[in-house]
Amino acid sequence: MAQTLRRPLSFWLAVLGVALVFAPLLPGLVWGLSPSINSAVWHSLWLDPQVPQALVATLTSGLLGPALACLLAAGAASALYPGPGWLALQRRLPTLLAVPHAAFAIGLLFLIAPSGWLARAIGQFLSWTVPPAWVTVQDPYALALALALALKESWFLLWSVAAVLGEQAVAQQLVCARSLGYSRAQIWRQVLWPQLLPRLGWPLAAVLGYALSVVDMALILGPTTPPTVAVLAWQWLLDPDARLQAQGGAAALGLLILFAGGVALVRGLWLLGQRGRGYPKGQRQPERPPRWPWQLTLTAPGYAVVAVLALWSVAQSWFFPALWPAALTGASWHGADIGPMWTTLWLAATCSTLCLALILLWLEAGPRQANGWLYLPLMVPALPLVAAQYAALLHAQLDASVAGLVWSHALWVLPYTLLTLVGPYRAFDDRLTTTARALGCSAWQACWRVKWPLLLRPLLASWAVGFAVSVAQYLPTLFVGAGRFATVTTEAVSLSAGGNPRVLAVQALLQVLLPLLAFALASSWPRWAARHRLGWR
Amino acid sequence: MLRIEHLNLTLGTTPLLVNVNLCVAAGEVVTLTGASGAGKSTLLNWLIGNLPTAFSASGALWLGPRRCDALPTEARGIGILFQDDLLFAHLSVGQNLAFALPASSTGAARRAVVEQTLAGVGLAGFHERDPATLSGGQRARVSLMRALLAQPQALLLDEPFSKLDATLRAQFRGFVFEQIARQRLPTLLVTHDAADAPPGARVIDLSTWQSGANHA
Repeated sequence: MAQTLRRPLSFWLAVLGVALVFAPLLPGLVWGLSPSINSAVWHSLWLDPQVPQALVATLTSGLLGPALACLLAAGAASALYPGPGWLALQRRLPTLLAVPHAAFAIGLLFLIAPSGWLARAIGQFLSWTVPPAWVTVQDPYALALALALALKESWFLLWSVAAVLGEQAVAQQLVCARSLGYSRAQIWRQVLWPQLLPRLGWPLAAVLGYALSVVDMALILGPTTPPTVAVLAWQWLLDPDARLQAQGGAAALGLLILFAGGVALVRGLWLLGQRGRGYPKGQRQPERPPRWPWQLTLTAPGYAVVAVLALWSVAQSWFFPALWPAALTGASWHGADIGPMWTTLWLAATCSTLCLALILLWLEAGPRQANGWLYLPLMVPALPLVAAQYAALLHAQLDASVAGLVWSHALWVLPYTLLTLVGPYRAFDDRLTTTARALGCSAWQACWRVKWPLLLRPLLASWAVGFAVSVAQYLPTLFVGAGRFATVTTEAVSLSAGGNPRVLAVQALLQVLLPLLAFALASSWPRWAARHRLGWR
Repeated sequence: MLRIEHLNLTLGTTPLLVNVNLCVAAGEVVTLTGASGAGKSTLLNWLIGNLPTAFSASGALWLGPRRCDALPTEARGIGILFQDDLLFAHLSVGQNLAFALPASSTGAARRAVVEQTLAGVGLAGFHERDPATLSGGQRARVSLMRALLAQPQALLLDEPFSKLDATLRAQFRGFVFEQIARQRLPTLLVTHDAADAPPGARVIDLSTWQSGANHA
């Protein structure tokens, strides 16, 4: 104990900074969810007539979506890696990842709704004059939501796969196994996935947790009467009636139980698969060239979504079944409410800058082994966490305050900042800092004058990721901000409930543009700074 | 016998290696040396069928009567041994070897061949072991036997001794050359260290094949 207390002050500062973000959650969980630990509450949840259908919708979207996302990511990786197609896909991933979930859902709505662009395209051949009477979005089984989750999350999974594939050993193992006579498909199945999957555990859990508890996408594309469990829980939690609030807390806890069950199920299947792997038979299958256009499958929806949003935002009138607006106009942009954009801008900039500072302190002076805990908010369903945040802020009388809002976003911004920075930060050549110290710099001077400038590119990249994460936050903004702060995300989601598609398209597009601007800044600033320094990467 | 005929390797428009002609007899080990950047790994990548798209190549690769340079890696019948042993971490030592064994031996015979191979290289009883628990020398031996069990018609060695310490290195070198001689495999050893070559064998510096313009 004396040993730990003798750590330098900076260590305690680093721990304190991170603890400020995480620690209030514990009492918050107790305050927020203890009314739900009550058999009567669970009984009334059980008897609620909406719950069975809502559970079906949650299970189909929450399991089918991630499962399809896995298939897409695995199929693309197996078919394209290593090769030019893989590199091209990897180059496009950051842009695709920057598209927020809500904006993607709105774009998809414009594409696949009965009056959407796809129906118009088909209608050209079948001479439709009115939209078909199909239920393609907000269907009772949440299949549209599952599709949206599958496409959106496949990019995140591919990005995680790319991170583990970057290592030399994987490429060499592939060559080695091919020289033993095996086809690519066999090698992926028998050699690479069994070794890579255990390291992809947390991204898979993150996708599952997100899909089960997503609210913004479910409000846009999911069923309405009844909605998914997550939306139901969220509506109850916002209800002034304490009894319904408790029921909402119980439903949020139920999502946590579903998540734990899902993780256990996947883990069990994996262990069974391990057990079932027989003795290698040595059967070599001939190589078959991949027929499916994987690259297009993964990128086309992203581009189509942004294109249809852009088109709607400048459309004057665009009636079914026209493929193209009758006239273009800048009126929707001129008349746009830009208040939410400014709120989003200062909120995201403050939060990502603050989190970057905290993470720098943490990586430099904090404990080296505790990162796993910080990733927890990325995995577990967000609803119970937001409920806990709200309860904690109510007790501190900080609800609906700017500080409270920034703090609530930090719970998700901080882990993503850490996640993107930890690799390059740990890979930094420490001999450079030692050299600076030997030349007379103090430890912090060495960071400030040598280490951090040299790490400018990854620092700004993780700042931009934090910015994008903050822009995309829906639940904490609405819940913790008590509706007092409108961001482009909350605005877009509330506009999606009906009304003017042009106004909706503008807000959704702003939601896409803000993170893209942050990424552009993060990549152009280091390039400008290093214009005379070829070795400064 | 492995034969390279009129091979030209270029990066973009820059010639790397010009008019390479080389014949390696069964059981012979030819050592290729060169400074870093001389084109060692590019030549190896061409031989194994893994040339990056930035490079282009013309010329022929023959394994006996079979022309191989247009075949994909898995159809060439060329084994490769890298610096790292590259044992598959999710399989046991024995399963790693069984992975390489052709499908022609089936059932209990497969396991018997693997056990026998292990015993033959001083690793009897290692079948169920996790590769991660083996010493560096043991792993290197398993890695070589895995390449050989696939019954290749030629073998490429990519600096396979460079990560081993001095004593182990001498032992493993002897072991590798003995196995190659026993299986009468034409072998190309690529290394930056000419001392890796077997005694009395041919050693070729890659600079012989670099374009005259660079080499005047």
